[in-house]
Amino acid sequence: MSVALANQSTWESLSHGRPGFIRFGAYLGLILGAVGLAFYGSGGYDQQQYLFQLFSGQGLIWCGTGAIIGALSSAVLSTLRPSIADAKIATNLVSWLDGAALLLLLTALLAQFEPPKSMISFNDQSNLFSGRVIMTMNVVFIFSAVSYIAYLFAPDSFIGRLGTWTAWAGVYAGGSALLLRWHESYLINTDIGHAPVSNLYEVFILLCCVTTIVYLTLERRYQAKAMGAFVMFLVAAAVFFDIWLASVGEASIKPLVPALQSYWMKIHVPMNFVGYGSFSVACGAGMAYLWRSRLEARGSNARVLAVMPTLDQLDQLAYKAVAIGFPAFTLATILGAAWAAEAWGGYWSWDPKETWALIVWLTYGAYLHARVSHGWHGRGLAWWAVAGFLVTLFCFLGVNMYLSGLHSYGRLS
Amino acid sequence: MNNLNESLKQMFVRLGSMTLAVAILCVLAIASVIGTVLLQNQEQADYLNQFGQLWYWTFRSLGLFDMYHTWWFLTLLAFLMVSLAVCLWRNVPHMLKEMRMRKVVITDKSLKHFHHLHHWKLGDGADMADVKRLAERELSGWETLEAEKDGAIYLRGDKGRFHKWGYILAHAAVLIILIGGWISVHYGFRGNMSVPEGQSDNEIEFLRGTAVHHLQMPFSVRCNSFHIAFYPSGPPKEFRSNLSIIDHGKVVMTKDIIVNEPLKYKGVRIYQASFGDGGSAITLKLFGLDGSEKVDTVKTRVYQTWKDPKTGVSLEITDFRPFNIENMAGAGQPKDFHDLGPAVEFIVRGPGLKPVKIKSYMNPFVYDGQNRGTLMEVSESGDGKDYQPFLLGLDFTNPKEWELFHAFVHAAANLGGSNTKEERFKAFNAALKQVYGDKRPKDFQDLGVRLLQGMNSLPRIPWPFIPILDDYDQVYYTGLQLTEDPGMNVVWTGSVLLVLGLCIMFYMPHRKLWLVIRPAGKGEGLEVSVAGMTNRNLLGFEKEFQALQARLNATFESS
Repeated sequence: MSVALANQSTWESLSHGRPGFIRFGAYLGLILGAVGLAFYGSGGYDQQQYLFQLFSGQGLIWCGTGAIIGALSSAVLSTLRPSIADAKIATNLVSWLDGAALLLLLTALLAQFEPPKSMISFNDQSNLFSGRVIMTMNVVFIFSAVSYIAYLFAPDSFIGRLGTWTAWAGVYAGGSALLLRWHESYLINTDIGHAPVSNLYEVFILLCCVTTIVYLTLERRYQAKAMGAFVMFLVAAAVFFDIWLASVGEASIKPLVPALQSYWMKIHVPMNFVGYGSFSVACGAGMAYLWRSRLEARGSNARVLAVMPTLDQLDQLAYKAVAIGFPAFTLATILGAAWAAEAWGGYWSWDPKETWALIVWLTYGAYLHARVSHGWHGRGLAWWAVAGFLVTLFCFLGVNMYLSGLHSYGRLS
Repeated sequence: MNNLNESLKQMFVRLGSMTLAVAILCVLAIASVIGTVLLQNQEQADYLNQFGQLWYWTFRSLGLFDMYHTWWFLTLLAFLMVSLAVCLWRNVPHMLKEMRMRKVVITDKSLKHFHHLHHWKLGDGADMADVKRLAERELSGWETLEAEKDGAIYLRGDKGRFHKWGYILAHAAVLIILIGGWISVHYGFRGNMSVPEGQSDNEIEFLRGTAVHHLQMPFSVRCNSFHIAFYPSGPPKEFRSNLSIIDHGKVVMTKDIIVNEPLKYKGVRIYQASFGDGGSAITLKLFGLDGSEKVDTVKTRVYQTWKDPKTGVSLEITDFRPFNIENMAGAGQPKDFHDLGPAVEFIVRGPGLKPVKIKSYMNPFVYDGQNRGTLMEVSESGDGKDYQPFLLGLDFTNPKEWELFHAFVHAAANLGGSNTKEERFKAFNAALKQVYGDKRPKDFQDLGVRLLQGMNSLPRIPWPFIPILDDYDQVYYTGLQLTEDPGMNVVWTGSVLLVLGLCIMFYMPHRKLWLVIRPAGKGEGLEVSVAGMTNRNLLGFEKEFQALQARLNATFESS
């Protein structure tokens, strides 16, 4: 995942073969240890206390033992059967787990800069450290977008790498800022503590990060660097929207209304944003397609045509992004229905948000049918990807701003 | 007859066609937009107000106010179901057959059509069996079959052979979900029940079209208590009802429910949905404004109207809240939350009076440690958003202030009413002496400010008395939602299948590979061809094919 941060070949060798497999085993053991703590730890499972339990002596023993057992058993396994070390699931997942571990470490480091607990209050949240980390993320993402756009006009490999590096830096800044906010919400008051996906400000940070991650994964796999100008442009737009939200006082940590107090929130919302993020990337690919096809139609021989993916590749990339987004969005909608069944008494109420989720689903469902079964390609579908994103945008922004319904968590009575 | 059969068959084919499917998806998406822009299931009068006669009746005849239950929307859904069913009916047998059939031998002609194709010429010394063995080693991870024909060896490799199951599952799943939804609508119910604390109910009500329907439950629900917890900053933290289920006169279950944790009894789920005042007992003090210093006490309840027989002025009590937490900080300053205490809301009506809505607080408004007298909020429009604060000046919880007010009015009148500053001060001193004797209250300066405020505001009140909340005995009602949904598990089954199907479809592409080894001609060694194809993820397959090609290259060279 963070391959761009290290020398390609050393990193590749570290995440493939035995070293990667042993690390994979360690992570797996660590996760199992954490699960074991939740089920069998002394004191039982308490949602409010679990995080603190995890970092207590008991948590370290559980997770540490799990990690050691995991690492040892994978070492033994890979000695007995060397071919298992190349198992696809391990090589694919281990870099993601590395990234997650790095993110956690970074967050733990940044948490040291929090003001003392006596200085933290609900009424004045300006001294919380996450605010500064979010500012860093904003700056870094905008810088990345500028680099990518510059890369289009000056296809220099250094500028391109700069864009990729800063995009990764932004992801880590945004991710750690969200985790910090999670921690801070508990510092303010354990009663208020909740996952940082409860308001527009927080989910926009999540959206920026997820979009960038999806894009960077595609970039790495398919060498589609010049598409970044379009995707990171969208991310930069989201960053500006977030800055505006902060300026009108929407950035503070607020306690959760009863309807949101559920573990479903932690699953449903991030899953949705995997969908939204992927659809944004598809939109970026669609825009790149339309731009390139216009250049080609005019018979231009601009230098950018040499670095940009071909029309066919862009078409594929848009489809790839939808292929990530569509199952994720489907799952997210189903999870939402499951939550609704538990909180509102019905899995489907034709609430505006639900209906718009259905509309988004139908839009991309039709896209896939047109493409896969009708064999549609090219400009029509590129426009469809862009239009689909506008529908998506309305679903997660427009509905909250213009339409009322069960997703506007204003009041219960 | 033949003709009819033919056209029926044609129709059948059309129904399952992809064009129709895409069209239905698009039409459904567009139709669904209407129901989100037009608020559904509101009061008919509001619609009439909003759209005027013409459009109201147009919309109403199209059923747009309860759009998702109109015949035409349901027909669209039914169309989608039929189209899906036909599509499955037509394609599933093909797909199953295709998955079973794995042709190993491939003709040269079809080999040429492959986009991914590579040939090797191996030297004279190469042995067919050796080459096959080497190639097979490189094909680990592929499901291989082999055959021999006309002296050539054919190897076929497959990955994701069950890809087509993805299509079948995903499409069947949507059908199952729709069927589940249909079961929910026809055999389930969903309705509301409002139960005041201490009472029980066994009937739910729900809206169908524009009419309210009622349904008897096989048991009754008693609300033992309802409790709201608040965050320090004011918003509600938890709504909790303690309920007892009474079946055949016996309490069979007593349990707490909160918003995300319903209870279940006899297949019926009971949800915490809303709350409100369940008819709290309210005691008001009426401070007469006729100069008589008279104070009456009125006992009434929320949702009742009390009428003064003498003056004809009536008070309709609409709501009561024990906590009223407000942000006292100005805009842009750090927030500062205060609880203003209990308040009652009522509408004052009377002969010659403009009806207004009032929110009357029980406690005086204390800010910065300074008592600023009893607070009232007035809404001329009757809407809660239009409340304007109105400080009465006097602290009505202290009977002495009411006395002082009148003493001051009298003293001021006796002094001739020239209303200079000194005169007023004299009158204030006299009134203080009359009410408090020699023991002046400590905050007499604040008291002076309040008195002046009272002199200013009380004469502006048009009613014969000022109603102030004096005491209360709060009763909530809990708003429950009761549902029974036999289709839910069908929907969940469909959902699981849908996700599973999509994952197979998108992440398990069917990749096929043929490797042909044949003698190139007498004494000219062997010719090896490898060809591959995929139905998804072309970019990924390209990489995989190139890697395989490179590996085979290396193997053949070293051998």
